[in-house]
Parts: sequence; C-alpha cells; structure tokens
Amino acid sequence: MNATDLRPWRDPSQKPLLQIKSVTKKFSDFVAVDDVSLDIYAGELFCLLGGSGCGKSTLLRMLAGFEEATEGQILLDGEDLSGVAPHERPTNMMFQSYALFPHMSVLKNVMYGLVHGGMTKAEAETTAMEMLKLVKLEKFIKRKPHQLSGGQRQRVALARALVKKPRLLLLDEPLGALDKKLREETQFELIRIQETLGVTFVVVTHDQEEAMTLASRIGVMNDGYIEQIGEPREIYEFPKSKFVANFIGDVNLFEGEMIVDEPDRAAVLNDSVGEIAITHGVSGTLGQELTIAVRPEKLEISKKKSAKMLNSAKGVVEDIAYLGSQSVYHVRLDSGKLVKAFRANRVREAEDDLTWEDRVVVGWDGSSGVVLSQ
Amino acid sequence: MLRAIGFLGFIFLYIPLILLMAYSFNAGDRASLWVGFSTKWYFVLFENKELLKAAGISMRVAFFSATIATFLGVIAAFVLTRNKRFRGKVLIDGMVTSPLVMPEIITGFSMLILFISMQKFIGWPANRGMTTIILAHSTFCMAYVTVIIRSRLVDMDSSLEEAAQDLGAHPIFVFFQVTLPVISPAIVAGWLLAFTLSLDDAVIVQFTSGAGSTTLPAKIYSQVRQGVTPEYNALATLIIVIVGIAIITAMQIMNRTQRMHHV
Repeated sequence: MNATDLRPWRDPSQKPLLQIKSVTKKFSDFVAVDDVSLDIYAGELFCLLGGSGCGKSTLLRMLAGFEEATEGQILLDGEDLSGVAPHERPTNMMFQSYALFPHMSVLKNVMYGLVHGGMTKAEAETTAMEMLKLVKLEKFIKRKPHQLSGGQRQRVALARALVKKPRLLLLDEPLGALDKKLREETQFELIRIQETLGVTFVVVTHDQEEAMTLASRIGVMNDGYIEQIGEPREIYEFPKSKFVANFIGDVNLFEGEMIVDEPDRAAVLNDSVGEIAITHGVSGTLGQELTIAVRPEKLEISKKKSAKMLNSAKGVVEDIAYLGSQSVYHVRLDSGKLVKAFRANRVREAEDDLTWEDRVVVGWDGSSGVVLSQ
Repeated sequence: MLRAIGFLGFIFLYIPLILLMAYSFNAGDRASLWVGFSTKWYFVLFENKELLKAAGISMRVAFFSATIATFLGVIAAFVLTRNKRFRGKVLIDGMVTSPLVMPEIITGFSMLILFISMQKFIGWPANRGMTTIILAHSTFCMAYVTVIIRSRLVDMDSSLEEAAQDLGAHPIFVFFQVTLPVISPAIVAGWLLAFTLSLDDAVIVQFTSGAGSTTLPAKIYSQVRQGVTPEYNALATLIIVIVGIAIITAMQIMNRTQRMHHV
C-alpha cells in the first residue's frame, strides 16, 4: 500500500480549498496587494512571508472579510466570498494583538464564537472546555486575560479562534509577541494542534525561521507581489529571485556576465572570483547579466585551496562570530568584496586553525550556487 | 524650592474652599466673621424648604441631562470614529464639539429663542421649566461626553471588535457585548462630567428656566444680593463632600479598568 502523499499541491487532480484569483487591493492610490494568485489546499499550513508593508496582512484581512478586494476573486470551496460579511464567513482569525475580550473570563472568551454560532450555553461550555484542555489551559478558565502571561494569552487566542472548527484559520503573526525560547516551543505546539484538528492554517509572518519551521508551503511576498511559492526547502535551495535568496537566510551574491552557455555547463565572469563554473545547463543567453547565489554554509573556507573548490577566491579573515553550534567567518576578498562563510563546530576542543587576519581561500563546487536572472 | 512653589500653588487654589468650609461651622450669622464653633447652620439648612427644593430640581435636571447627553454622546462618538467616511463628516465633527468653545451666554440666548419659536409654531414646550433646562443642558453636555468617549474609542484596539465579528457576532451584538463594556469607564466619566457641568450651570439656566424651576446655582446667585448666611457655606460644604467622593470613586474605577486594558 502506498502512503498518501501529503503534498496535494503536487497532484494536479486535487482541488484547492482556497483559491485567490488575481486579487488586487488599492487604498486610494496605494497598491497594497498587486495581482496575487494563490491556491491553498485542505490541511495545509501555509505561510505568507514578507517584510512589513509587503501586503501580507492586507491579504489575510481580505480572507477574513475585513477588507474587500478592489479586483479579483477569492473562492473558498468554489464559493465566491466577495460581499460576505466577516461574521458570516466560515473562517476564523487569530489576531496579532490576540484581541482577547478584557471583560470576559478565559472560558467566556472561548465560548463567545460558539454561542454566536447557535450553540446552547451548556454545549458551548463543554466544547470550549475540550479546546482549553487541548491548549492546556483548563486550570485557568476563570481568569481574566490581564491575569495571564503572554504565552497563556496566546493560547487562549488560539483556542478561541479554533473552537468553531473553521474551514480556514487565519493567523496574523501568531508568535510575534512571545520571547525567543517560548516561540520555538510554541511553533511545534502549533503544528501538533494543527495536525490533531486537521484545520487548514494560513499564517502571516515576517520571521523566516518561523515560516521554515511551520509551513508546508511558503509564499514570499514583496511590495504587494508574490515573489515565489514553494516548500521551505525549495524556497531555500532554489530561490527564484535575488529578493527571495536574500530574504530567506544569508547569501553571498556574485554578479557577472554569462560567457559560456552549453547544454550541460555554463560560466559567468565575476570581478572577485573570475570565471565561475556551473556544472549544469542554464537557461539564458551569452552576455546576459546573471547572479550566482551561494549560501554561507555551502561556501568552504580553509587555508589552502581544496580539490572540491571548483570556484574560489583568496581573502583575509576580517571577523569571526562564534555562535556555539557554528562559527561565522567574514572574509574580505582581494577584490574588496565581503563574503560570509559558516563552519560547523564539530570538535569540542579544536585548536582552531583559522583566526583573525589569516589569509584564506573560500570556494564552492559547480552545483552549489543558484543562478538567478532577476 | 520647587516643592515650596507647588505648596503655595495648592494653597492658592484651595484656601477659598477651605475657608468656605470652615465658616460653615461658624456660630455667628455672617459668612465672614468668626464667632465660635457650631453646627447649627446645617440644621437651619435642612429647615430651608425653598433651598432644598432648588437643590432637588438641580439634582433632577443634572441626572436627566447627563443621561440624555451620555446616550447621544455615545452614538455621536461611535459614528464619528467607526464610520470611515461619510458625506459631511468634517462638518458634523466640528458642529458636535463646537458647544465646547461657545460662550454659555450665547448658548443660553439661542436656546431661549428656539424655545419661544417652538412654543409659537408647535406648541411644545408650552412654557419654560425643567424640560427646557434639561434640553438645553443635554445639548451642551453632549459635546463634552462626545469628546471623552471618542478619545477612548480611538484608543481602543479595533481588533477587539473585529475579533467578535470574526467569531460570528452580528455588528449589533459586537457593539453591546464588546464595544460598550470596553468603553464603559469613559461612559461613566462622561456621565459624571455632564452631571457636574449641569449642576454647575448658572448662565444657561437664566434663559431657559421658568417660574418654579429655579436651580440651586440660580437660587444662590439671587440670594447673594440679600446677604449670605453660613447656611450657604453648609450647603456648599455638603456639595463639595459629595462631589469629592464621586470623583474619587470614578477615578478608582477608571484606574482599575485601565490596568485591565493595558496588559
């Protein structure tokens, strides 16, 4: 028996749960969301990732019904949502500020949506209690929001948004207000809850690490556009643009003109490295300006050039940041360009051979660089 | 040095009130010549039926005016903050708050003219009395209430209302179950301010009161001309104490809810 593929976006026969079709949102002259098309499938945990003002929150608010699209369509299960008021939509939202009702107890907060969904008080209380157990807050039901810690408030907000079992749960920076340690724990908690309930999540975040941890797929947004949609690995290893390569993780960019264009190899002429060899074919034309993006962990650094370094450049170690699990080396190449290289600290008491002001060689093989044309 | 200046300032502000309260315990019958300690003026006060009647009218006028002003002020503030844009918003915005800066004598005079023409054309209000005072006071108090409640609504996290709506509550329920409870301290504060403003007014009432509807400030004002006995000091002392307790209570309510909302 075959395991079912948990990636419905790879199966063209699957119907998406949510279809966003060429949606544009203008606030008078300002275009907040610009011709965005996106399909989200049932059971996904989709992250909209981007910096502030990139339109991700506006897009989320359009899904919730707080903003009307200027152009385009939003379909949920094939039904057009335009003109449907927020209180009539089968979606729920978890707000960045949590928006807990300050005058109601935890239990009353969670029951609120159920009572308005037509449940009796007794039913609503039972259902709310189940949800509060799932988020481990059953001991705090009588407290008011201001008597809870930040993490507890976050869980009340999550429980309140989930308790109606929405077709689609919209989360606006759900972990933004938590400190780092708690945020990391809560990420996995969020995934556990999402898998237990099988609710489709759309998460808005500016934190790329959070998106990588949570998401089944990520949509990277910039300036109202969607730059790229893909699985976290795809976005990281195969960015489609300089913006995506830069936004997700660290990257060294080498720009230059294409000088070799053959079916199984190519080369780009760069000021710092010289001829950069690429051991696969590239879609482009001779003379085209291309950018080679190399992740710092794929950049090797040593005192002598090794056999694996098909492309290399000499330089001086300018700065070292020891981060525990790894060290970051800032190397000033002879051309003046600064590059970053990571090295895992595998041995505890290594007499580190690299130190400040050392002359080193940095290099990479022919397939570690990503060729970007935009 | 700074503390000394602050102290002097406080004395400057409060010495008249303290003197006024002290003379209410004067045994003599003048409000400015100390004879000895006595509480007799408090008993005389409770015998003065006319003065008590005026106080009763003032209380009733203040209560109804504050209530009407608060009711209208909440609606005006809500419409002005929550409706993004409508025709004439700027104009209405300015007109709602203009009584704040309008001299009372003009407000009072214009009210008088209005009531006279209303009487002429629609026959209501038939004559000037409590009803006309309440109408006039509601109008000018509403401006103050609107300003207080509007600033609270602007401060309020609008995602609270969105969250309620998102959870399936019709906008009417959102207003009564979320907005109103959250702004309730401002409503209480607005009501109290309106109550004090109405209680305090001695100008507008000159134009809008009729026979048998003299309010306390008007009564005191007319009595001053015939010389004041410490009876009035006793009355003023009682008012200061009552108002003081009301203000302290209101401030405590405000502080408690403030802590709750700014977590």
